[in-house]
Amino acid sequence: MRTRLPQNGFLFPFKIMKRLLAPLFALGILLSACTTPVDDGTGPIKLGYIGPLTGEAASYGKDTLNGALLAINEINEAGGVNGRMIELIAEDGRCTGTDAASAAQKLVNVDKVVAIIGGQCSGETLAAAPIAESAQVVMISPISSSPDVTAAGDFIFRDYPSDALKTKAMAGYFKKEGIEKVAAITENTDFAVAFRDALKENIGDALVFDEVVEPGTKDYRSLMARLKDMEFDAFFPNGQTPAAMAAMVQQLREQGLTQVAISHDVAQDASMFEIAPDAVEGLLAIGVPAVDRDSDFGTKFLAEHGEAQGALFFAAQAYDAARLFANAMTEVGTEGVAIRDYLYAVSDFEGVVGTFGFDDNGDVTGMSYVLWTASNGAFTQGEAVPVN
Amino acid sequence: MTQLIINGLIAGSLAALIAGGLALVYGVLGVFNMALGQMALIGGYCTWWLHQIVGLSLPLSIIGGLTIAAFVSWIAFEIFINPFYKRHRFLPLVTTIALSMILDGLILLFFEEKPRAIMPGVRHSIEVFGARISIEQIVLISFTIMLMMVLAYVLHSTAFGRKVRAVVQHDHAAMSLGIRAPLLHRFLFIMSGVLAGLGGIYLGIDQNLTPVFAFPITIKAYAAIIAGGKGNIWGAIVCAYLIAILEQLVVGVHWFGSFYVPAGYQQTVALLFIILFLLFKPAGMFSTKTRSA
Amino acid sequence: MDFIWHIIAITCMTIPHALAYNLVFGKGKILHFGPIGVSLVASYAVVIIAISTGSFIAATLVGLISVVLLSLFLAWLSLRLDQDAFGVMTIAVHLSILAVILNWNGLTRGALGIPGVPRFSFLSSVQSFAIAAAVVSLLFVIALRLIDRSSFGRQLQALAEHEWHAKSLGINRTKVHVIAFLVAGLGALATALLFPQYLAFLHPNDYQYPFLVFFITIIVAGNPGSVYGVLLSTILLTVLKEALRFLPLSSAVMGPVRLILFGIIMLAVVYWRRDTLFPKQRSI
Repeated sequence: MRTRLPQNGFLFPFKIMKRLLAPLFALGILLSACTTPVDDGTGPIKLGYIGPLTGEAASYGKDTLNGALLAINEINEAGGVNGRMIELIAEDGRCTGTDAASAAQKLVNVDKVVAIIGGQCSGETLAAAPIAESAQVVMISPISSSPDVTAAGDFIFRDYPSDALKTKAMAGYFKKEGIEKVAAITENTDFAVAFRDALKENIGDALVFDEVVEPGTKDYRSLMARLKDMEFDAFFPNGQTPAAMAAMVQQLREQGLTQVAISHDVAQDASMFEIAPDAVEGLLAIGVPAVDRDSDFGTKFLAEHGEAQGALFFAAQAYDAARLFANAMTEVGTEGVAIRDYLYAVSDFEGVVGTFGFDDNGDVTGMSYVLWTASNGAFTQGEAVPVN
Repeated sequence: MTQLIINGLIAGSLAALIAGGLALVYGVLGVFNMALGQMALIGGYCTWWLHQIVGLSLPLSIIGGLTIAAFVSWIAFEIFINPFYKRHRFLPLVTTIALSMILDGLILLFFEEKPRAIMPGVRHSIEVFGARISIEQIVLISFTIMLMMVLAYVLHSTAFGRKVRAVVQHDHAAMSLGIRAPLLHRFLFIMSGVLAGLGGIYLGIDQNLTPVFAFPITIKAYAAIIAGGKGNIWGAIVCAYLIAILEQLVVGVHWFGSFYVPAGYQQTVALLFIILFLLFKPAGMFSTKTRSA
Repeated sequence: MDFIWHIIAITCMTIPHALAYNLVFGKGKILHFGPIGVSLVASYAVVIIAISTGSFIAATLVGLISVVLLSLFLAWLSLRLDQDAFGVMTIAVHLSILAVILNWNGLTRGALGIPGVPRFSFLSSVQSFAIAAAVVSLLFVIALRLIDRSSFGRQLQALAEHEWHAKSLGINRTKVHVIAFLVAGLGALATALLFPQYLAFLHPNDYQYPFLVFFITIIVAGNPGSVYGVLLSTILLTVLKEALRFLPLSSAVMGPVRLILFGIIMLAVVYWRRDTLFPKQRSI
């Protein structure tokens, strides 16, 4: 009878040896990381990027990364920053705090980057912030929307306009058009929920239907059935992704509801037309001006990186963030504190998404909005929507 | 109310296809296939690719998509299930988790993160008993019902069906009677992959496909199976419809005239269904008592 | 080298929970797919109380109570249901807890997460976290090794291999299950006390399905049931996950490659162990 080999005990060392190959290789890589020098004024400037390159939010990651790369390639082709080329080191934050923290640790401690474009998901930014802050590395987040980012740190900026401004514009638009009852369906993610909260603050009781669904839901039929019995003037698909919003609008129209649908800039996505062209026709969106496929930025992006995975707007935000860093480094060098002070002093940077500056918290000021209308397969820019 | 039931039928048909296939596999092989959602997505994505990119007509694309799904299921069986399921029933559970990760990676590589719709465009809706339903959805529901009837016929009225049922009831006994059980195992697994792919195609037509949709599909299917009783394919199908209708009702009905359940809990219905069932009737709704030991 | 301290820190913070989970899933062969659910409850309980009362003692106490309650619930379920059903049930429990946390905005801030998690006064730098976590891991390794070698460990193993025979020998299945789940819960609590603090941020995204898969991979890759085996695999797999960042692959490909790589690792490991992973019962 064959005896079973003991689980622990004397065979232990053999088991260890068999498993040493992969980890030795991994440790080797890690140990080599200890030798990267600090930025010493020569050689390429290292810029870091943190974003969700995989996982559910991967479309944001790809677009923002490509937007940043577009800017960096342009800058390098024009001679770089004071003669030095910029090198972008991209790390995957996977839209989780754990991974973003590791990414930030690597960028700050191993690669010794000068500044970071990131995170994209608010969770990434909030997790990476303490690490960047304590290392005095400036971070500009292109698309983090959570109100918590405002207080995330002295070195933490974002060029994404806060929901407070956008929802004010939206509320103003409602008033102007005589829209008194709004029905909203929100995906339960940090971006969409924060947006809804801000909107509620601005329009109060006008929000007659306010449902929050699990992220990734695509079957809104029963909610639509409830809407049929309700009186409302406008529908607000408040989704995190175009997949959800297209499904919302499609099912709305399937039920024969003809109210106007109006959303935010995440809806300005080419996939909306690919999924539900008929239903999306007539969809309104409040977003920044001049970021569509036909604009200068749009054509450049299309030529170099192809179609955006999500809204072109995200790539434009990252593009502007990269340009901001390049401007800062040209003026004041690569010292974290100097860059920070430069950014706080910015008041009218001419970015693709508008002319803007930063306030004392690192939030953006001065962006303007226009009304986009979906017609014939593309979004066309319309009138300005003021924030008052 | 009618609208809610109809909504439930639409969503239920989707779930029933996937759950039905899973029940067969689970009943026979005792195998948890954690990669089921990914297989559904593969069927849907391949059909999308054939229809929208390659330009084939819809029926051809569907057949093509299902063929690819069958092929992938077959390979999955040979690599991930076959070496393991005879040794212990739980090994395939872990390997199918591995399979699901690999398939997720492949789907991301080939199809990227953009949402895809197989048939974009508004549906042509008609009114039935005061509720709206589109032609496409009617086709889909009736197709599912037809498929179920064909399945019923095959399972209960043909020799082949009897062999399948024999294998479901007792593997070894069937083998001792000369039934080629391993071949039937493969066939059933491929069948479940094809049914899942069909569900994915359905999803791609009715809603849209995103890479992350796999896991919730898998969980819904398991909810239906556990509630329906292990290996009981009709139980699983009935429970799939039941869960779908319940989900629609939970969110759509004005309970006691005073409150609405927050929509965020819609998916939780499926979970609660599993939990309650498992607490009070661990063997499922339609289980039959079998002798053990 | 701060990055290396960081890797040490996150590895050592995962170890207590992994080892404790190993007791239930690896040694006891109980199909428990809900450890992340327990982590969720522990983390949120600790953080919410820590923020609202400012006292870590209170937070630990409330965390302990909630973990104990949840573990007892899971143990009860494990006794009542058969194996497969229990596995599915624990996934359902995990997802339900996630749904409650996402929707009960008043308590948990839902999808916004909870920023500004307070830290112990003696922990501030990465190094201090790494050392503290390493100390806790060491304690857990010793404790679990003792449990492993004790009569309790033998009882658990007997139940895993031959349930009825073990019961006929007088082993109390209820007692063994309860203790096993309680230990798993304590592991989750240990991790919950350190990890959210370290990130200074608590968000449900860190407790989703991919993390469950990672846990299962750790246990299966390190000889399930063996304390040293799982210890080694936790260290190796966490290091591997981070080391993959250094590979010079294009970012579009990196993510899917990581998924595929881990899937292949899992498959290879299970294939290699297919005879010993789950004990084979004699049939007929």
